[in-house]
Amino acid sequence: MSLALQIVVTGLAAGGVYGVVAIAYTLIFRLTGVVHFALGELIALAVFVTLVVAAGTGPVTQTSVGGGRFALALVVGLGACVLAGTATYALAIKPYLDRGSTIGWVAVTVAIAFAIRAILGAAFDRPSYVFPDPFPFRDVGRGGVVTLAGASIQVRAFFVLALAVVLAIVATWVLERTKTGRGLQAIASDAEGAHVVGIPVDRLVAAAFGAVGGLAAIAAIAAAPSAPFDVDTGTLLGVKGLVAAVIVRFATPWRAFAAGLALGLVEAAIASADISGFRLGPEYRDVLPIAVALIVVALQGRRREPELE
Amino acid sequence: MTEAVGRTGRAFAAAARDARAAWRLPATLAAILVLAALLLPLVVTDPLQLQDLSGGLYLALAATGLAFALGLGGMPSLCQGAFMAVGAFTAALLRARTGAGPIESALGGLALTTLAGIGLGAGFVRLGRVQFAVATWLFAWMVALGLAAFPSISGGANGIAIPDSGFGVTWHYELALVLVCLACLAFFAVARGAPGLALSALRQRPAAALALGVRATRLRLGAFVVSAALGGLSGSLSVQLQGIADPTGYGPFLSFKLLVAVVLGGMSTALGAVTGLAALSGLTELSHWIGSLERLSAARFDPMLFAILVLVVLGLGGAGIVPWLRRLFPWMGGRAGRALAATSPTRRRGATLTAEGIRRRFGGLVALDGLELEARPGAIVALIGPNGSGKTTALRILSGTLTPDAGRLELDATPLDGTGIADRVRLGVVRTLQRTAVFEELTALENVLAGAHRRYGSAARTVLATPKARAEDRAQRAAALATLEQVGLEEAAQAPAGTLSASEQRRLMLASALATNPRVLLLDEISAGGTAEDVRKLGAILAGLREDGLSIVLVEHNLRLVRDVASTIIVLDQGRPIATGTAGEVAALPQVQAAYLGRHRL
Repeated sequence: MSLALQIVVTGLAAGGVYGVVAIAYTLIFRLTGVVHFALGELIALAVFVTLVVAAGTGPVTQTSVGGGRFALALVVGLGACVLAGTATYALAIKPYLDRGSTIGWVAVTVAIAFAIRAILGAAFDRPSYVFPDPFPFRDVGRGGVVTLAGASIQVRAFFVLALAVVLAIVATWVLERTKTGRGLQAIASDAEGAHVVGIPVDRLVAAAFGAVGGLAAIAAIAAAPSAPFDVDTGTLLGVKGLVAAVIVRFATPWRAFAAGLALGLVEAAIASADISGFRLGPEYRDVLPIAVALIVVALQGRRREPELE
Repeated sequence: MTEAVGRTGRAFAAAARDARAAWRLPATLAAILVLAALLLPLVVTDPLQLQDLSGGLYLALAATGLAFALGLGGMPSLCQGAFMAVGAFTAALLRARTGAGPIESALGGLALTTLAGIGLGAGFVRLGRVQFAVATWLFAWMVALGLAAFPSISGGANGIAIPDSGFGVTWHYELALVLVCLACLAFFAVARGAPGLALSALRQRPAAALALGVRATRLRLGAFVVSAALGGLSGSLSVQLQGIADPTGYGPFLSFKLLVAVVLGGMSTALGAVTGLAALSGLTELSHWIGSLERLSAARFDPMLFAILVLVVLGLGGAGIVPWLRRLFPWMGGRAGRALAATSPTRRRGATLTAEGIRRRFGGLVALDGLELEARPGAIVALIGPNGSGKTTALRILSGTLTPDAGRLELDATPLDGTGIADRVRLGVVRTLQRTAVFEELTALENVLAGAHRRYGSAARTVLATPKARAEDRAQRAAALATLEQVGLEEAAQAPAGTLSASEQRRLMLASALATNPRVLLLDEISAGGTAEDVRKLGAILAGLREDGLSIVLVEHNLRLVRDVASTIIVLDQGRPIATGTAGEVAALPQVQAAYLGRHRL
């Protein structure tokens, strides 16, 4: 029981972040038909820029940063991420979309992913980094860990999960209740029609490209103090979010979020699972969900109608 | 016996004659280059240098494999490095754990990768390009994360040490060189042969290619499996050259590097992958050397260099180094424009296609209801009616693109249930599309050959260029030229289809459809966009086909053409047939006049 609760809470907290990343993939895909292969790296960029502004490049402890400086760092970090996302779209994706060259934008987004990784890897070359924690979670319970029904749970996990849900709600609210959001929905259903009725398609899509990256980065930054991280953390987050988005076929933001939550749960379960004698373990954690996603994708292919005229 | 020997001898003599005729300066240069490369170990005696070269050649083998998927198949594969990993670790484990010999291990790696390619390809090749890229990307990550998570397979941080095979670096070098040459030659043969033509058609106009009966799934699967197999072979051999299988060397970055090499060199040319990889290695070395002047470890900036290269090559809209060189030095292309003579036109034979009670709805809209139709040999049935009356829906159902909700379809009294587009084309039912859809980058002759693909032998026969395959190839070309003559385009045979006029393109579509050797021809507004003269020409062609005994179903807006050629006219209105008969009978009916002139009288 206690273990189950622990799995559920930590799994949902990780899954919340995956879910927000999956929302980002889904929105971008529905707007443009593009899968943003560099999304994970853009998130890593936001996390590292925030870290540098908040605490410099030296070793940090979790307690060494004040609130004001952290807020500034957050703004700069997210700004960098949004800017990089917008620039990626305008300079590297749009030209190939216009030309109808899928291989073009696939190659370019993957190239940007590896380029950002290279830059971050060169600038932050210690094996792993600790992210400063602006909130006093460590004062709750025993150093930030509470015991609930016999399960030890990081207080931060609740915060991350709640924040993820809030981000998902905000994304949906913006899409459905604001003029910008309705414009984006119009573009998603018919870009040419949206252009004809006077929606500034290019500008909105470019802005959305940056904004969803920022959205995902907020969730990642909130979760960052929970564990040491490095350049690969962002990339891996990108892969996990993509797995979640693919499983629900980039359907709707909420389904993508739910798939992310489910993925987090499943990973936590796999990692510590001894399901009625069938033992898995942490080594299966990353591989199994991807395998399942691949099978789902392959089955989608079987049901596809022949290409339209 | 002696006769068989004589036949073989004649076949070889003919092959030699053809080879001599097709031999041009580029072939001589290539032969000299390969010979020089084979003799290189006599000059380069430093085993380390030779090992680097061999490693590069093995990578070139994997890159050429990727070109099969990327350039021929049009599939953006992001997992070529993962296939190398599968080959490498299978071979490494076989060598280190079971004591299998080097050759057996390599073959084991090849076999497992081929199986993986078949398994993944069966699911992936039907996907759209975007989903395909995502799926292969996730597979690359799965392999990388799996290797990191299971030290029992990957050997953990130390990797797997492989016992020395005793073959030596020179042996690896020569083997790698021979394999790369063979892979390039195979690419060349496939790209030029029937499978390449069909895949090219499929890349340019998927719907039109499918309508001509191109077996898209099978061809793409073939390209993908070849790419997987070459990747696996490369991995399983290069790992034995290195002597150690290092799990960190096979991440998604390797897949990306191979993709960059192929894009850089030119993905749709046989030498593109090799050239691209050579250029990439050269540029990387150069950047490392410049870095070393500034005491920087430049290797970590390789990804940035690659990113810049991708942006520059793709950003300039360039097809890569090899196509660029070919434009710069046209004589390098060396396309053997062999003189062709048209054979006498193919004898045509019709079949009776009957449709009874065909119904199809889209959501709440009834697109077609109660269509009855009989297309007989030597007759033209015309379907006419206002826009949205269900004419094109009818053709799509007859051709197998759409399945009807109700009704029966029979070809010569055999039900057509459950047959797809490609099956029906093989049975002799072929359709031309409503939109003008020629394969613009192919010549007119190649457009026709794209329709004729189905009579070719297997891809393996094409690669080996067996006497039978070459004879068939010649016969096909001659027949294609005859088909072009039939639609009056023989002068334009070698012109790229994109340069033809709109009405010539429509006739070229007709020729491509005729090349499938149809028994029932379904034509969707074949006269669209033509002048009166064009329509008159077309009428003569259709009348000729009717005399030959073909069965033709014609969807047309040009009522003059319909009146001139149609034996029976069916008038559709809002999905329902409202009249059937000859031109005179139909025109007199009040309901037909109402449908055409509108129901609302003033």
